[in-house]
Parts: sequence; structure tokens; C-alpha cells
Amino acid sequence: MLEGRGQKVIVVDNDRTVLELLQIRLEVVGYHAYIVRTGAQALDLLKHMRPAAMILDANLAETDPYDVLRTIRQRHNDQHFPILMTGRGLTVDDVRRALGHGAQNCMVKPFSGSDAVERIGRLIEAAHQPAPRQVEVSRPVAYV
Amino acid sequence: MDGADLGDSGLKATMATTLEVLGWEIELAAARSIYLDSVIGRMISLLPEERKAEFVESMHTVDLLSQQLTGLSAFAQRMSGEAPDVNAFVHKALDQISLGALADRMSVALGGAEKGLNDGDGAGDLDLF
Repeated sequence: MLEGRGQKVIVVDNDRTVLELLQIRLEVVGYHAYIVRTGAQALDLLKHMRPAAMILDANLAETDPYDVLRTIRQRHNDQHFPILMTGRGLTVDDVRRALGHGAQNCMVKPFSGSDAVERIGRLIEAAHQPAPRQVEVSRPVAYV
Repeated sequence: MDGADLGDSGLKATMATTLEVLGWEIELAAARSIYLDSVIGRMISLLPEERKAEFVESMHTVDLLSQQLTGLSAFAQRMSGEAPDVNAFVHKALDQISLGALADRMSVALGGAEKGLNDGDGAGDLDLF
């Protein structure tokens, strides 16, 4: 299990059970979890803090999660952080749409809390790795 | 959650939704026991060496509990995908839950109205006193 080092993770989900279980799971391994139930609350929170990652539910009651993704990418384009979208019955099209709107990964509900925390740890780790060096491919290279 | 229905005689939900909601609650119980396990671990680290052995067994029991709950949660969640598409009344079963916050969370997840109860001092076992 990848451990958090006090990094902040925002969890947005309408379901109080999911929120609390993810909060506990995240905090036990060293993250600071900020839990909210609507997209509007998440966007408000982002005005005051920069998270290491976000877990966003696709089935929010009052907000279109894709609007939330779009707003985040417009407002916080300079502060890149990975977003894991979760949701019941996510289809291939839902996943494509989420990735197209700026989510880095998707997870179908129901999931285990430990799997979700593992996934978010990997996304944070990947976001902090230096980008791979671009390989020059315009010039033909012959290997003998 | 999908699959809920407020029928004439009370709250109804599909077996799939009911099993999924049950699975989430067991998953939350597992998370709480993992938290308890971490607290016991921290407490043991503060104890003098000669007293640590007394609590290591307790820690092992809580660890087994976490694993048991995690397994049950996975089972309930997997079964929710296998359940036949039939409705069942859930309000009488919800009435059996004396912890107010738990009953409220499950009722909302099954399609009922939210009362906004939290797991504070005032939310549990009210009807026992």
C-alpha cells in the first residue's frame, strides 16, 4: 500500500457511507481527506487549497460531474492534480467522456476502499514523477 | 441509489441495491476497524516492553475482524451484481436498526428521505432509553 505524506485528497460523493469509509481509509495511510457532497462544495474548496488528488463521483445528485471536471480544468489548469472518477455502471463511453474532460482514471462502484486508496496513491505518485524524456524519432536510426 | 421505490406500504428496493448498500456499510465497518487497529498499534508502541504482549493479541483480533468485514463486504458487493431483479420491502428491516445514523444512511441509499442524522452522541440507540 502506497502511503500518503500528509497530502490533501478531496473526495466528492453524495453517499455519506462512501465518504466516511474513504476518509478513514485515506487518513489511516497518511493522507488528509476533505469530504464534500456536491460539486459546488468541491469547487468552493478548490478556491482555498490545492489538493494532491481528487476522487469524484459520477452520480452526484445536484451537479453534472463533467461540468465539475470542465470547471476544474479551466480554473486550475496551472495546478495539475489527478482526478479519479468513480460511479455505478460506468460504460466505456462514460470512461472516454471522463478522460476527455480531464479525469485520469475511472473506477466502477461498488469498489473496495483499499483498492480506491491504492489507485489514488498510484495516481499521485505518477503525477509527481518527471515526464519521460522525449526520444528523437524524426531522424532514421540504424542499429547494427 | 437506483432501484428504490416508495410503494403504498413502505420503502421498496431491488435486491441488487439492498445488497450493494449492505456491502458499503460493511466496508465502512471494515474501515472503522482498520482505524481501531491503527490506534491500538500506536498505543502499543507507547507501552513498556513488558506490557506490549498483553495488547498484541487484541490487535490481532481487530486485524482478523477487519479482514472478516472486508471479505463480507466484497461478497455482498459481488452478490449485488448477481441478484435477480426483484423488489422487496425494506422498511421493516430498517426499523430493526437501533443506531439512528446507520438507519438514516441506509434508508437514504435505498431511496428514502434523509433525516440528516450523524454518528454523534445523539444519533445512536435513542429508542433503548
